Amino acid sequence: MAAILLQTVDWLFVIDNMGLLLGGTVVTIALTVASILLGFVVGFPAGAIEVYGSDRARRVVEQVGVVLRGTPLLVIIMILYFGLSISSSAFVTATIALGLRSAAYQSQIFRGALQSVDDGQLEAARAVAMSRFEAIRHVVVPQALRRSVPGFQNEFTIVLKDTSIAIVIGIGELLTTGQNLYEGGQSTAALEIFLAVSLVYFVLTFATNRSLDRLSDYYAVPEGTT
Amino acid sequence: MTQPLLSIDDLHKSYGSEEVLEGVGLEMDQGDVTVLIGPSGSGKSTLLRCVNRLTEINSGRIALDGQDVTGADTDVNELRKQVGMVFQDFNLFAHLTALENVTLGPKKVLGMDAADAEAAGRNHLEQVGLLEQADSYPAELSGGQKQRVGIARALAMDPELVLFDEPTSALDPELVGEVVEVMRDLADEGITMLVVSHEMDFARSAASDIVFLDDGEIVEHGPPEQLFQNPTADRTEQFLSRLHAHEETA
Ligand SMILES: Nc1ncnc2c1ncn2[C@@H]1O[C@H](COP(=O)(O)OP(=O)(O)OP(=O)(O)O)[C@@H](O)[C@H]1O
Ligand SMILES: [Mg+2]
Repeated sequence: MAAILLQTVDWLFVIDNMGLLLGGTVVTIALTVASILLGFVVGFPAGAIEVYGSDRARRVVEQVGVVLRGTPLLVIIMILYFGLSISSSAFVTATIALGLRSAAYQSQIFRGALQSVDDGQLEAARAVAMSRFEAIRHVVVPQALRRSVPGFQNEFTIVLKDTSIAIVIGIGELLTTGQNLYEGGQSTAALEIFLAVSLVYFVLTFATNRSLDRLSDYYAVPEGTT
Repeated sequence: MTQPLLSIDDLHKSYGSEEVLEGVGLEMDQGDVTVLIGPSGSGKSTLLRCVNRLTEINSGRIALDGQDVTGADTDVNELRKQVGMVFQDFNLFAHLTALENVTLGPKKVLGMDAADAEAAGRNHLEQVGLLEQADSYPAELSGGQKQRVGIARALAMDPELVLFDEPTSALDPELVGEVVEVMRDLADEGITMLVVSHEMDFARSAASDIVFLDDGEIVEHGPPEQLFQNPTADRTEQFLSRLHAHEETA
């Protein structure tokens, strides 16, 4: 069965069109990086507000987060692109949708990490005359960021794979490229094409997770009581 | 007449409806080593934390060098530059080496440049006998070593007064001595210290004054010989005999 489906000629077709798939891969990477960055830039302060902000600010951030996390990504993209037409660029729209949704999740990663740092750390920093902001910045945040790496790896993987949803607004990312090959090229090669596409996703997630492992090893400090 | 370095007057502090400090008064001159003793829950930590305003008071007066420091217009960070603190459970910055723990305050708060702060930091680590551990992280140090780094961290700010909240009570018994020794050296050097501790050794050999706090009130105070040998209040006597019994079983 598999032998019939996985035909050499179809693999050759995939290989011939590797350039196109790689082009899609580049778009996928760009979309992932832009979305993760937007998610970080918005999500990190949001997480900090949830921990340190005034009651009012905290409530606002929490509620926006609940809405974003509770809405399917596809719906967010549709609303932003077709409903609000926030940008004529599909890439920009997809980045905003993926980025905001990621911010809502990243804020929870950072919130948890900030809360996991013992209160004694903040207190000791205040006791050497640091302002609350300095104490958070120099003592709590560096520890919290280290503790966010595993959650962040998870989030990275999710965003990377969810960029495929951008297919609905016609961005030439990896999955779209694959689909075009299949529809406009060689329909017998469906399985081969999509297997190749999954392989690329897998390689990307694997490579980033490894890199983040390296990064966290590099910055690791011995754990234990202080 | 010289004015006291620290002067606390009619200090009241409540948590909710529970009054924890009920009109406490205390004076310390420069170079004094005052040891605060008292049962658990008597308000010792609270009193210490009021002095550097980690805890806000309800009423009364705390003056450092004659300046009231309890007002809303007092810059707490200026106050804390003058008043260092050593914690029972160390609270060393977990992500920083011993040396970085000691230099963070001077660099970020006092605006020292990195090289000066490091040179000074190494001196302070040497003072507590830990120069060789300068590059170790807190998790790599023993409890006694951690507490000595904690002391060096407080000293690095060059404070006028250092508060110690039970600095040895989280330590294994065999590690208490090294910390007490460092504290005794500081006392000899004339560092002004307000110490919550039931380490009788330290109190007898280093304290200029013992203060007995019970139920949010200072029951009595006096030089160690007098307070330990001839306490005037029954409450003090009872507390001391319990403390001795405990020391003997320990
Ligand atoms: N943040 C707080 N909120 C509410 N109550 C508190 C708080 N801190 C201390 N208390 C209460 O105030 C009283 C005095 O506490 P404090 O920690 O000053 O006592 P202590 O003499 O240091 O005791 P210990 O020897 O156990 O350390 C206790 O009854 C305690 O429960
Ligand atoms: Mg206490």
